[in-house]
This record gives sequence, structure tokens and C-alpha cells, in this order.
Amino acid sequence: MGTYGWLLALHVTGAFLFLGGAVSAGTLNVLARRARRPSEIALLLGLTRIPLVAINVGMTMALFFGIWLVIHLDGYEITEAWILASLVLWVVVGWLGSLGGKREKATRLEAERLAAEDDSPSAALAERLRDRVSNGLSWASGVAGLAILVLMIWKPGA
Amino acid sequence: MTGAIRPDSWNLVLFFHVLGAIALVGAVATVIVLAATAGRRPERELLARAAFRVTLLLVVPSWLVMRIFGEWTRSREGYGDDAPTWLGIGYLVGDLGLLVILLTGGFAFWWSRRRGEGWQRLAVLGFAGIYLAALAVAWFVMSGKPD
Repeated sequence: MGTYGWLLALHVTGAFLFLGGAVSAGTLNVLARRARRPSEIALLLGLTRIPLVAINVGMTMALFFGIWLVIHLDGYEITEAWILASLVLWVVVGWLGSLGGKREKATRLEAERLAAEDDSPSAALAERLRDRVSNGLSWASGVAGLAILVLMIWKPGA
Repeated sequence: MTGAIRPDSWNLVLFFHVLGAIALVGAVATVIVLAATAGRRPERELLARAAFRVTLLLVVPSWLVMRIFGEWTRSREGYGDDAPTWLGIGYLVGDLGLLVILLTGGFAFWWSRRRGEGWQRLAVLGFAGIYLAALAVAWFVMSGKPD
């Protein structure tokens, strides 16, 4: 496997870690919303920290090896519209994910507090789990990640 | 470079193949996280049920999307009987994967019926772990295309 093959395989590995991690975090989030007891909700939201590591490592790898690929190949320039759009979306993914993550952390801490008290189901906690802003931020981050995948496959203008 | 010479009409098919593969990786990883966490935790019954549901509702559909659109992509690229090694590895991981997924789902169901108790958790963890490693090999060789 030549340099191009290695760079592409590592770039794609980053994409799989990033988007696969997002699928996993989203799934655990959905499971948490369906749980009843605060201890169960706290556990499932706490587990999202594992795919979060994959997301962060994957985003870094995809960016690093993606830029290296552009430099290595003669056919592409970093100033091409689809590459610039991907870079902007990469920042948007991180920003939206970070905002959504902060709100979810607050929900997890609330669930942990309730679990330490009497661990009985709480309507207020259920309401927080259904919070449209928090869920909207996370889903928008995922959609932006998918948009990067679309750009990488179609390469409009290349 | 492959992207530059691929007709635009193939992109949608390839997109769904990749999307299915990514969802499959995320779903299998979730099953691993759930099974690895359960152990002797008081929430093990919940985690066992969740592992079975994720296998049934996310792993299996993702595998189907990945496999169907993968076959469609291959038919358009016209490799015929002279398929390269990287494609053979993809087929191997894809087709044997169904067996591993069915075993994972079966043990996850058994585990959930035992309210999160028993050795079935380790079977789920083992099969899902092996499959995730195989998927990693597949995405690496299918993107790097060594030959």
C-alpha cells in the first residue's frame, strides 16, 4: 500500500471513529430517554463519554490525514469549495456538539443527584431529557457530520 | 482519486453503503459498551435488554443497508470474477458478519431473558468485539485498496 493508500485509510478510519462514535452516543442518549430511574439515566448518559473519546480522536484524525491527503495529491487544492465547506462543517460539528454536550452533562449530574437521594422517577428529569434545544444541538451536530460525508463522496466541483 | 473518476450516478449507492457501514460500527460498539459495563452492576438487567434491542433494531438493519448497497456498488463497478483482494476481504467480513451478528443477537436475547445474569454477557462481548475488529480491518483495506 502506497502513501496515498495509507493516508486515505487513516483518513477514513478517522471518519469511522467520528461518525460511528456519533451513532453510538446518539443510541445511548435515546436509551437514556427511555429509562425510568435516575440511576439508569445517569448510567446511560455517563456511558456516552466512551464514544465521545472516539468522536474526538476520529475528528482529529479525519482533519489531519485529510489535509495531508490534499497536500500529497496533485489533483486537489485546499481552497476548493467542497474542501473549505468540509472544514467549516468540521468546526460547526465541534461547536454544536460541545454546546449540546454541556447541556447533557448538566442533565447527567441532575440524574446522579436524584439517584443519590431516593432514585425515584422524576418528571423534571424526564422533561430535561426531552429538552428540544439540547436534543436539537446534538442532532444538528450529527447532520453536519453527515453533510461532511456527502461532500467527501460527491466532491462537488472537483 | 477513485472519487474523481467515479460517475456521479454511483455516489448515492456508495453513500448508503458507507452510511450503513458507519451505523453498523457505531451499533456494534454500543453493544460492546453495554455488555462490558454490565458485569455485576445493579442495572445489568436494563443493560442486557438494551444490548438485545440495539442488536435487533440497529445492528441488523445497518448490516442490511451496508450489504445491499455494497452489492449494488460492486455490480456497477464491474469486477466480475476477477475481484481484488480488498473486495474479497469486504465480502468475507460482510457475509460471515451476518452469522456473528445472529450469534450476538441470540446470546443477547438469552442474556436479557436471564435478567442480565449469566455467562451470556461474555459471549455477547466476545462476538461483538471480534466483529468490530473485523469491521475495522474491512474499512481499512477497502479504503486503502492495497492491490
